[in-house]
Amino acid sequence: MKRIMMVACCCAGISFLQAQELYVFTEPASNMATGSFGFRLNNYAMPMSHSTKTSYRLEPELMWGASKNLMVHAAAYASNMFQSKMRVEGGSLYAKYRFLSKDDIHSHFRMAAFGKLSLIDNPVLEAATTTHTYYDGQGNPYLHDITDYYQSNQMNIDGDHSGYQLGVVATKLQHKLAVSGSASYMHRLDNLKGQKFAATDARHALNFTASAGYLLLPKEYTSYGQTNFNLYLEMLGYVPMDTRGYSIDAAPAVQFIFNSIARLDFGYRFQIAGDVSRHYKSMFLLRLEYNWLNAFSKK
Amino acid sequence: MGLMLISSFSFAQSFRNIELQAAGLTCSMCSNAVNKALKQVDFIQDIKTDLKNNLFTISIKPGTTPDFDVIRKKVEGAGFSVGKMNVEVNFANQKIANDQHAVVGGKALHFLNVKEQTLNGWQKIQLVDKSFLVATQAKKWQAATKKECYKTGVAASCCADANVKAGQRMYHVTI
Repeated sequence: MKRIMMVACCCAGISFLQAQELYVFTEPASNMATGSFGFRLNNYAMPMSHSTKTSYRLEPELMWGASKNLMVHAAAYASNMFQSKMRVEGGSLYAKYRFLSKDDIHSHFRMAAFGKLSLIDNPVLEAATTTHTYYDGQGNPYLHDITDYYQSNQMNIDGDHSGYQLGVVATKLQHKLAVSGSASYMHRLDNLKGQKFAATDARHALNFTASAGYLLLPKEYTSYGQTNFNLYLEMLGYVPMDTRGYSIDAAPAVQFIFNSIARLDFGYRFQIAGDVSRHYKSMFLLRLEYNWLNAFSKK
Repeated sequence: MGLMLISSFSFAQSFRNIELQAAGLTCSMCSNAVNKALKQVDFIQDIKTDLKNNLFTISIKPGTTPDFDVIRKKVEGAGFSVGKMNVEVNFANQKIANDQHAVVGGKALHFLNVKEQTLNGWQKIQLVDKSFLVATQAKKWQAATKKECYKTGVAASCCADANVKAGQRMYHVTI
């Protein structure tokens, strides 16, 4: 309970900063417009904890505004994290339902419930090979590769592991000031192709997030063609419920919005506190997004 | 000449420009979603936007009658809501009184917070139905009438008369 309180409070502390709500590492309570369609290309680079390798993951993601209250994402994942070559790992479905909306001129308070299901066929253990120097009976050095296997109790259903997540998110926007926080439960399922987690691996976890950003440019809106420049800072807290440990990540990001329709996000997520076992403790994200407003809506 | 006069009367436009302020948004991407949604509406001819204040000035196609609820639903579909909506209405010797309705251009308009008067020519009216206002304003306007139609948005049997059927959409407005 102490761990949960600490992680939750640490995430809540960020909520006093100024913000825009098109967050980079989390989703706000607001949805995309009804009948709109969006496409994201998420690129992740992760320096691995147990080797010198930097893994790369590609996540194409489709987004659809099903109604004013419901939006759906579908994503596929491919990476070279668990082997040397890129391979398709699986996919995920995400849905968010906005159940509370209080709008005022230039402000709103919204709450939404969200769920995500991810099916991934990665190995549950990461094999990391390191080369060691040994000496034979005559004192001559020789090299020998040793492969160690590492588990991770930091669940990640964005490519690493199968699982589902259920949570709520609240977002308050006030002129250029917006803050958002979420709490969610995550359950890890065994990975596909019969790859089971050990009984000692974490299965249940709580996630807490707090997000804030700042609209730096333009100083004043005059047209849809103006390029927007936003700065973000997010805190991502994680507490496994059935094993020891926790983690708190900070995730600063910059964002450009072009023609009020396309997005370019660049962010860096890194652990600032924690002791939970992880395949990687930091991650770079480069995201390209394009939206087709009212692509499917009725006249 | 007489024929021309009659025909020009029968095609007289009852509704002209609509000023809409969208609520719940500050970013240009959000405003663009509202703008694109409104552009799909067939009776809308043109939209001018003031991004700073989230104001949309909508001109209505000549020969068409705007459906205010269609505009509202487009804004809501984009993920936001109507904060304020003013409509230019062409009145022809129309007597109005407080908490009473009148039929103009085929629409039942229920006037609130007005003095008894006769309206002529183009006048700007504000829609004060709760779905066309932010919550704090809606609460204020709720107090302006005790009639059931404010809550339901349709004419109750008590309000119905020769011009307005029970169940007809009733827009609450002020000047």
